[in-house]
Amino acid sequence: MKKEAPTLRDLAETLVAFARTSGADEADVSVSDGYEFNVDVRKGRIEQLIEAGSRVCGLRVIKDKKTAFASSSDLEMGTLKRLVRNAVRRAELGNPDEFAGLAPLSKERVDAVALKLYDPAVAGLDSKTKIGLALATERAALRDKRITNSYGATFASNEIRSVLAMSNGFVGEYEQTYCGLGVGLQAGDTDNRVEDSWSSSKRHFKDLESPEAIARKAVERTVRQLKPRKVKTQNVPVIFEPTQTAWLMGFLFGCVTGTAVYQKATFLEGKLGRRVGNERLTVVDDGLLPGELGTHPFDSDGMPSRRTVVIERGVLKNYLCNYYAARKLRLKSTGNADGNGVGPNNFYLEAGTVSHKDIIAGTKRGLILIRTLGHGLNSVTGDISRGAFGLWVEDGEVAYPVSEVTISGNLGRILEGIEAIGSDLEFHSPVTGPTVKVAEMTVAGE
Amino acid sequence: MNKPNAPPPYVDHFGLSPADLRSVLGLALSSGGDFAEIFMEYRTYDFINMEEDIIKETAEAVSIGLGIRVIRGDRTGFGYTNDLSLDKVRKTAQTAAAIARGKAGAVPPPALRDRTRAASRYVVRRPAHKASLSAKMGLVREAYAAAQAFDKRIAKVKAHYSDSLKHMCIANSEGLLVHDTRPMVKLVCVAISEKDGKRESGYWGGGGRVGLEYFRDTLTPRRIGEEAAREAVLLLEAADAPAGEMPIVLAPGHSGVLIHEAVGHLLEADFTRKKTSVFWNKMGKKVGSPLVTIYDDPTIPSFRGSYNIDDEGTPPRKTLLIEKGVIRGLLQDKLSCRLMRGRLTGHGRRQDYSCAPIPRMANTYIAAGDDAPEDILRSVKKGFYVASLSGGQVEDSGKFTFSVSLGYLIEDGKLTAPVKQATLIGTNIDILKKIDRVGSDLEFGLQTGTCSKDGQDVPVTDGCPTLRIEKMTVGGTS
Repeated sequence: MKKEAPTLRDLAETLVAFARTSGADEADVSVSDGYEFNVDVRKGRIEQLIEAGSRVCGLRVIKDKKTAFASSSDLEMGTLKRLVRNAVRRAELGNPDEFAGLAPLSKERVDAVALKLYDPAVAGLDSKTKIGLALATERAALRDKRITNSYGATFASNEIRSVLAMSNGFVGEYEQTYCGLGVGLQAGDTDNRVEDSWSSSKRHFKDLESPEAIARKAVERTVRQLKPRKVKTQNVPVIFEPTQTAWLMGFLFGCVTGTAVYQKATFLEGKLGRRVGNERLTVVDDGLLPGELGTHPFDSDGMPSRRTVVIERGVLKNYLCNYYAARKLRLKSTGNADGNGVGPNNFYLEAGTVSHKDIIAGTKRGLILIRTLGHGLNSVTGDISRGAFGLWVEDGEVAYPVSEVTISGNLGRILEGIEAIGSDLEFHSPVTGPTVKVAEMTVAGE
Repeated sequence: MNKPNAPPPYVDHFGLSPADLRSVLGLALSSGGDFAEIFMEYRTYDFINMEEDIIKETAEAVSIGLGIRVIRGDRTGFGYTNDLSLDKVRKTAQTAAAIARGKAGAVPPPALRDRTRAASRYVVRRPAHKASLSAKMGLVREAYAAAQAFDKRIAKVKAHYSDSLKHMCIANSEGLLVHDTRPMVKLVCVAISEKDGKRESGYWGGGGRVGLEYFRDTLTPRRIGEEAAREAVLLLEAADAPAGEMPIVLAPGHSGVLIHEAVGHLLEADFTRKKTSVFWNKMGKKVGSPLVTIYDDPTIPSFRGSYNIDDEGTPPRKTLLIEKGVIRGLLQDKLSCRLMRGRLTGHGRRQDYSCAPIPRMANTYIAAGDDAPEDILRSVKKGFYVASLSGGQVEDSGKFTFSVSLGYLIEDGKLTAPVKQATLIGTNIDILKKIDRVGSDLEFGLQTGTCSKDGQDVPVTDGCPTLRIEKMTVGGTS
């Protein structure tokens, strides 16, 4: 990968210049070069092994305030130049958009090296070690006799070099790595199966959880669902485990993007500066956390990454914007440009001080949400309705597992009704949060 | 779509002759694999986005690459590249070959024979890739304007158009060489309504493996815009969904999502081979009501889920999955078929060249029954009517959900108040037994559906007639 790096940068800069001479007022070009390794093992044998390298180029041209995009996995210069010429021609056919345009060149630059996005240890792992890790994880899980079937274990790693060149003079380049290890399991007989999985995903190999730890969590998460009951329909407090807070935060993210705001596709439109949740709630988007999965030196507009407080003690402080949405809403870009849209950096709910255990102990009756099934999220209204798996709590203790129920409620009311936030925040994924207890949701069952 | 006089795509787009392909297959088998395959793909894609009353952007994409797969027993080695120089292709073959780790078989792969058939299921009179961008923009503007004009409570509209043309060729160590060129078009509209600070959204769309004449003859952009707006406005007046168990009636068409989730996925052969599916030990056994017969048919002309050959080169066939409540078939790909000694059905599909094929659905539906739809509705005293659906999910135990975007309450056999979104949940072997009325009005849902499995997205269609389910849990709030 390394020896080809200058080529990527040259390619991007050459294409930006070509776009300008082809009639574009402005242009940007991104090129990435990735290497992927993925091994799936099951029942002690390799099931599938994938190893590949691939490149992709994306470009944007703006002419007379009209925008056109193109992308290609064919990096042959003839193809790319044809795409640039086509894009300029297509832009001419569109409508002018007063907000179209590249972001101005930012004076600030974030030092990519200090962000610790690249781990040579990931790049240096040999296939045998990677396969060995997957095999060890599954083996450790299958040692537990309650486990009756395996979806297999996977080790995956990626190395990616990305370049962005813009006609405003911006050129940025960085390398990043990812590695992940996980296992999926079933317990119970065929007609009473329960399933779950656990995986660890990091940029640095040394941060990856051990095969034994991953296996232990996967087993525990699976077997705790055995012999579930269906409960009566009722309104009760719901405790979101961190994996569930993660999707709730993902849904919140979709509701605080500048794009959703100008499209009126979010119930949080028009709420800037207003209280949208209770005092316990602080939500942050941070692109600068060293070594984390959602960290980058700059976004796809070439804007430097930053930390943005989205909700501060219940008050909505910022929408997350790319340069386009920011201009449209007369706000500032928050460094969240992701291709043609808005994407999260590390978007998380700040940790509270209570332990997961104490949150359960303080609940007289309620549902600990451990998994969901289906989509059922509507950002226009904030409405939530999803299939749910959980653990029923009686008098501060887990009584029995619950399945084949749904949970429903509204994100706006959930944010107002957060009763406790756990201290167990971890960055397993770019969008994350700790345990959360919500005052009331409808659990529909019998 | 396959022009008889043009050079075959493996030569035209990939610069690889049958002799090159055969030598690469030989290399792929050099470590002792029992099967090797080269999948080549060249895809072009056009996209138009209209919002805020303007054509905001257009996009064009080109994707080219090939994936090489080597199978040895139950192990698969896979590599892909988008650098098509013979040198890189050979290197990719060696990467995939490493899975086998043995001695090369004595027999070199047989000479490749092009077995592409001329007949096509893609019904195209005005090919999208030859139409002007202005013509396509016209379709988008028409849908947009229709949604906006539908009602003064429509606050925002978005309309998206996309088309793609995918040239694919498959060569394998059994001597197969085959190619196909698949068109796809799609036009969708999202409308957001607003009244007294309350907002709702509606969605509609269509397309398939068709040409642009579809938007004149079958489904007009105007109707797409109006239906999206109609749903958005109707939802403004909708009440919160009920919560708890109750009788359900499913509208024809859209509700095929239920069959897709509850039955289709768990009859994909890989889940049976690995014994993770609740159905794995139930072949030939009764799992549902005798009223339930289910097919998956990739051969329906022009449908989104249809194809001339699957992504392993197998001609597909209409596959009986459940007959009168009894499991009769599985959706097979080559790997599961070899290991289970089954019969190929032509359901090996992949998202693109960077993915290995897996068994997938195409167009899944429940066959029509005898009941008049109005009699089914009339039979329910108090229940929930599912008018439109937005998706679903299933796990291997058979627990599944589907999300209703618009429903109605049924009171004394009639539809009364419209009801907002809710998720329904059930277990398939329980719900299949509770399907107690099946209508005569088989319809298919919108030609816009996509199914995800193992991180791979493929286009699908679902269908069903009006159905009654004796009892199912509705996840509302009231």
